[in-house]
Amino acid sequence: MKGTLKVEAKNPEATIRGLFAKWLKEGRLSAILTPAYSDAGTATVALFSNPEKLAEAAPLMPAMSVNSASIAAEIAREPSPNAKVGLFLRPCELRAVVELMKLKQVLPDSLVLIGADCPGTYKAAGFRNVRGKDADFDNKHVREQSGYADNVNFRMGCQMCEFPKPLVYDVNIGFIGMDPDKELWFEAATDKGKALLEGIELKEQDEPEKRKKALESLSASRKAKTAKRIEELDKTMLGPEKLVEYFSDCLNCHNCMKVCPVCYCKECFFDSDTFQRDIGEHVRVSMRKGATRMPSETLLFHLTRMNHMMASCVQCGICEDSCPVTVGLAALFKKVSQNAQKEFGYLSGRSLEEPLPLTTFFDELKKIDQE
Amino acid sequence: MTEAKQMADYEPKIVGFLCNWCTYAGADLAGTSRMQYPPNMLPIRVMCSGAVDSVYILRALLEGADGVFMGGCHPGDCHYVSGNYKARRRMVLFSSIIRSLGLDEDRVWLRWISAAEGRKFADTITEMTEHLRKKGPSPFKEKWEV
Repeated sequence: MKGTLKVEAKNPEATIRGLFAKWLKEGRLSAILTPAYSDAGTATVALFSNPEKLAEAAPLMPAMSVNSASIAAEIAREPSPNAKVGLFLRPCELRAVVELMKLKQVLPDSLVLIGADCPGTYKAAGFRNVRGKDADFDNKHVREQSGYADNVNFRMGCQMCEFPKPLVYDVNIGFIGMDPDKELWFEAATDKGKALLEGIELKEQDEPEKRKKALESLSASRKAKTAKRIEELDKTMLGPEKLVEYFSDCLNCHNCMKVCPVCYCKECFFDSDTFQRDIGEHVRVSMRKGATRMPSETLLFHLTRMNHMMASCVQCGICEDSCPVTVGLAALFKKVSQNAQKEFGYLSGRSLEEPLPLTTFFDELKKIDQE
Repeated sequence: MTEAKQMADYEPKIVGFLCNWCTYAGADLAGTSRMQYPPNMLPIRVMCSGAVDSVYILRALLEGADGVFMGGCHPGDCHYVSGNYKARRRMVLFSSIIRSLGLDEDRVWLRWISAAEGRKFADTITEMTEHLRKKGPSPFKEKWEV
């Protein structure tokens, strides 16, 4: 099911809020997770259950404070047959949710995935100053499409994002390549999505050519930008000497791991007893090279983290946003994960059916059976 | 130390992870058959090559090992059905990451050596030692800032 929906009063964000309210009132959803402005004007995410509270919801907010897939893992870990929670997510967040579903960290049953186009977002830090008191801020950016991508506050992860349209969703709400003051693009990919769109007056039609072209050209320009960024990255990172230097500011705070949506372990290996050394052991390790950097295992942490989650990395870049010393993690992880996933012909978050590359050996096992 | 002197004094240090059921038994066979091979590898017996997380390889490399050797059962012969396939896939990922970072993937070897292949074990360790001798010491050997 796909088509366009008429936008009321030249306000696409209010139109989407209206749909949220309708779904909550009709009981199609028991709650909905969406970006929202706090009283102080900061970018947050909230789970709304009362339709009257929705005035604070800002589904089209061009800022990202958290990858909401982490929140999905927090709320949908256990089966809950009676709840129906809508998750209003950006493309990278949806990709992470797909990975977490495959990793059995998010149960799909009680969730409806509502996606939205995203031409990119601002950093959450300092965002309230960027926005000021502009009540029409979100809509202005939607009208601008991707025109604000050169702003200094535009997130590094978003600068390199080639997926402005979600890949997996129950329903997607699109505005790229549309006239968002007049109409929004709706697409239901599953029965869950179709059920949600019941009773909504869509003008059914095929995806407009103009929209397809706009998405393609945005994706192409991002790919070109990514290639350039990776070229710059290689100049400062490639090889043992530079790699150590690249991470030399790292405080070993592990923030990047804590905010990462696909770093899903409840207790990180690096917080386990394996890394608890007594004083004698510390001295022994130090004697090997004459000195040890403290806190120890800083580079080991990053390299191991890459080995543990690169196959599922969705390149959202939230790791860099969380870094207190701004290590350039977004470009680094983009490069490393892109190469790693290519090795397996895999793309994180592309499909729920595509098996995780590290844990499948069906072809190999079948061959043994035949022999 | 001058570089030439460093090279002259250099003996490659290899950390080896040997699977209990195949490669470790292969090493045992090489020993009981009195086959000669260089003493540069420190063997660590593990229950399966699939049990060796990348962290152990990385830690060995960052703390100054010149190479890491991993030995497992031949594909199809794993005592735990699919452990060596896990190791193999993990290795593909590991090598790709190491390449992307501009590090040397050739310092980490994964080889299939069965319990009957004592000769192959001795030859492989000899080959790897010579390979690392030519390559020179690991860049992380003296680097304490990792």
